[in-house]
Amino acid sequence: MTRNHLISALAALIVLLLIPFVVEDSYTRHVFIIAFIYATVAVSWDLSLGFAGLFNFGHLAFFGIGVYTAAILSSTLELSPWIAILAGGVTSAVAALLIALPVARLKGIYVVLVTFAFGQLCMQVVLSQSQWTGGAAGMVRLPYLTIGEYSFIRDFKFAYYYVALFILTAAIVTLLLIARSPFGKSLRAVRDNPDYAAARGISVARQRVMVLVASSVFTGIVGGFYGIYLRVASPEVFGFGVGTLVLSMVLIGGTGTILGPAFAALALTFATEAMVGFRGMEEARFIIVAAAMIIVLRMAPGGAIDVIGRLGLAASSATKPLEKGKT
Amino acid sequence: MSTLLTVRGLQAGYGGVPVLRGIDIYLDTGEAIGLFGPNGHGKTTLLRVISGLLRPTAGSVTFDGSDISHAKPSAIVAAGLVHAQQGNTMFSDMGVEETLQLAAFTPRARDGWKDRLTEVHTLFPRLAERRKQLARTLSGGERQMLSIGCALMCAPRLLILDEPTLGLSPRLKGELRDAIGIIAAKGVPLVVVEQDVEFLLALTNRLYLVEQGEVGHEIDRAHAPNHQEIMNMYFGEQAH
Amino acid sequence: MDGVLIPTLVSGLLLGSLYALMASGLSLVWSTLGVFNFAHGALMTLGAYFAWTVSEQLGWGLGAGFVAGIAAAVVGGVLIELLLVRPFYGNRAMLLVTVMTTLAASTIIERSISIIWGPRLKQLPRVIEGQVSIFGAPISSHEAMIILLAPVVLAALWWYTSKTRSGRSLRAVGQNQDSAALVGIDVPRTFSLAFGLSAALAGLTGILLGSIRFVTPGLGADPLTNAMIVVIFGGLGSLGATAGAAYVIGMLEALLILWLGLYWTPSVVFLALIMILIFRPNGLFGRAS
Repeated sequence: MTRNHLISALAALIVLLLIPFVVEDSYTRHVFIIAFIYATVAVSWDLSLGFAGLFNFGHLAFFGIGVYTAAILSSTLELSPWIAILAGGVTSAVAALLIALPVARLKGIYVVLVTFAFGQLCMQVVLSQSQWTGGAAGMVRLPYLTIGEYSFIRDFKFAYYYVALFILTAAIVTLLLIARSPFGKSLRAVRDNPDYAAARGISVARQRVMVLVASSVFTGIVGGFYGIYLRVASPEVFGFGVGTLVLSMVLIGGTGTILGPAFAALALTFATEAMVGFRGMEEARFIIVAAAMIIVLRMAPGGAIDVIGRLGLAASSATKPLEKGKT
Repeated sequence: MSTLLTVRGLQAGYGGVPVLRGIDIYLDTGEAIGLFGPNGHGKTTLLRVISGLLRPTAGSVTFDGSDISHAKPSAIVAAGLVHAQQGNTMFSDMGVEETLQLAAFTPRARDGWKDRLTEVHTLFPRLAERRKQLARTLSGGERQMLSIGCALMCAPRLLILDEPTLGLSPRLKGELRDAIGIIAAKGVPLVVVEQDVEFLLALTNRLYLVEQGEVGHEIDRAHAPNHQEIMNMYFGEQAH
Repeated sequence: MDGVLIPTLVSGLLLGSLYALMASGLSLVWSTLGVFNFAHGALMTLGAYFAWTVSEQLGWGLGAGFVAGIAAAVVGGVLIELLLVRPFYGNRAMLLVTVMTTLAASTIIERSISIIWGPRLKQLPRVIEGQVSIFGAPISSHEAMIILLAPVVLAALWWYTSKTRSGRSLRAVGQNQDSAALVGIDVPRTFSLAFGLSAALAGLTGILLGSIRFVTPGLGADPLTNAMIVVIFGGLGSLGATAGAAYVIGMLEALLILWLGLYWTPSVVFLALIMILIFRPNGLFGRAS
């Protein structure tokens, strides 16, 4: 994390803080908000996937859990939406703890499969427990945010913008602090050299649990925010569509960098939202994003592939022997 | 007498680390040659380039008039150049008989495979005894026999053996060497890598000492040095 | 209890048969290439849609539909291998990268299907109409056929991989790529073969599913998860282990639905999976590496 990166990030933050004064239309602010939300999910995913080298493919489940937590707490139980949003972080953390326990000791492909299946399971639960979750139809007309007399839905998303930006900033700052802490350093060391853990008596299992929980907190909170902001909770949040989109942000932005995925999120969100305007491009944007992900993976000589390459070492113990040189 | 195999100025390595630094060897039809030298100096790498498992960065490999420097391993085997790897476990969950049958894979090898299988059984009776056993349940010596047996099933016009007796008991070493002698006597051109120079001298026409990824010495059986000279050459070179 | 037990067992047999069909292709690719094809479900969907177009839209009948669907899936599978898996051979991160590229492929296939065919539900006709009775439990003839078909397909796969040259080459490549190459097996071509065969199985499964369930762009999503659970249970190993796991899970699920109801069953199955992995990290039948 060079000084230059931090400087550009700070500059970007200042610009972003000023945007709502320059941009007044609701739609553009909306795109920014969505971008901030995705960025928060992406940077959190980068902690577990990129930074710690943990193949967590159920990350989006944390997001969805946050959405539904906020939805149920605010709508059915009529708690304050603010609390509901924060509660999203709590339930996600609990979920992360639960899934981390088995995942902690698994190897390679099993981590992928179990976390992926976990995501699917969450979707199943949401779909089947329809008296709580609204099933396939989801939940609508969730309460919106207010501060005293000030209503968030009357100001053309001005206040929502800042809340979203605040969550993103808090997430990035926290994750960067984690990355630079001794814990973060040992995460990277274990990722790059699995034997290091054994040599230093580090419990990889405990590390994985902590990383998963850390990656889930902001994801859950921003998930809650997403639900409250859109006033809708739908099972689609557990689907491949959002998942692939966010994954491509992590890859294109650069795994293991924390900041990279944030920038990629902004870029990709605007790019894909621009496409939604055209009729028939609704589905196409998912295709384009997926194709972009493939292209990045094919082309990146260093960059994404290189870091991923190091991830491969961490998980290689249970995978098949690979052919070096010519096949 | 024509040249069957020519390796010229071959360079290759792993992940940017060069191992072969311009090595030249050749083999004429009807000949058998041996390679020896310290470990890690490129003998196995050379064989892997010849058989197509590794791409060379420079130089050429010519087999029976065709340039095979960048050919696919399967094409090279189809042409008759067969490489039996060092210390190989072959296919751990496949049976002995199954593996031998499978080894007659290329069209050339399929022709007359039943006779060839009988020959392999004659050469290595233990493979006939253990035909239903899975490869991973075989002992070290039996696995080596399987490895060589498979190579024979490929109907080789040139057979490369990488340390066929490595890690075996003296008795097994003797058994395998006798078998290899029989193969040589049948007229199959051989390239054999071995640590025991005396065995190589008895089996082959010429020897190459491979060091630092190049040929250090070429020894002709006709002008074979005696045991002491070989030792000096071998260990003397290493003292550089 | 007796009145419900037989139908439950029959239901379990059906589930097991379906799971075996779903998982066999996935297991084949894993054991040959060491790659987990996340687009496996999408290939089922692709097969179902092509079958529907040929059979229902063009009206050429279900037989032609089967051919078209399986062919389309095979083309899809081979393309995936060529474009999204082969470029990463030898890459240290091949496993993770191919997970991501096949996941992307899955998105591309499913969304493209949605654009081309539209999201409205479609249905494929049953292979056999009518009902039969197995030990007193009523079941549609189509589903009974699936129960009979699955073991036949599995047996055919077993015979292919044990007795034929090309089938054995699949196993050989999966166990030792170098040795396979050195007996003259064209390894990249074998990979394509594995993917193509796996895709054919996916296509077949998709078409069979298309008459039990609706043909939608998301047809393959649940089967993918089910197949995943099966191969994890079975230990990502041989076809036999996968088949065994499929029937065990099928039975388990049927019994759980009987005892716990439809709501809780998926969670319990998943929980059981997690438990198994905690005590046997290589799956129920898997061997410790």
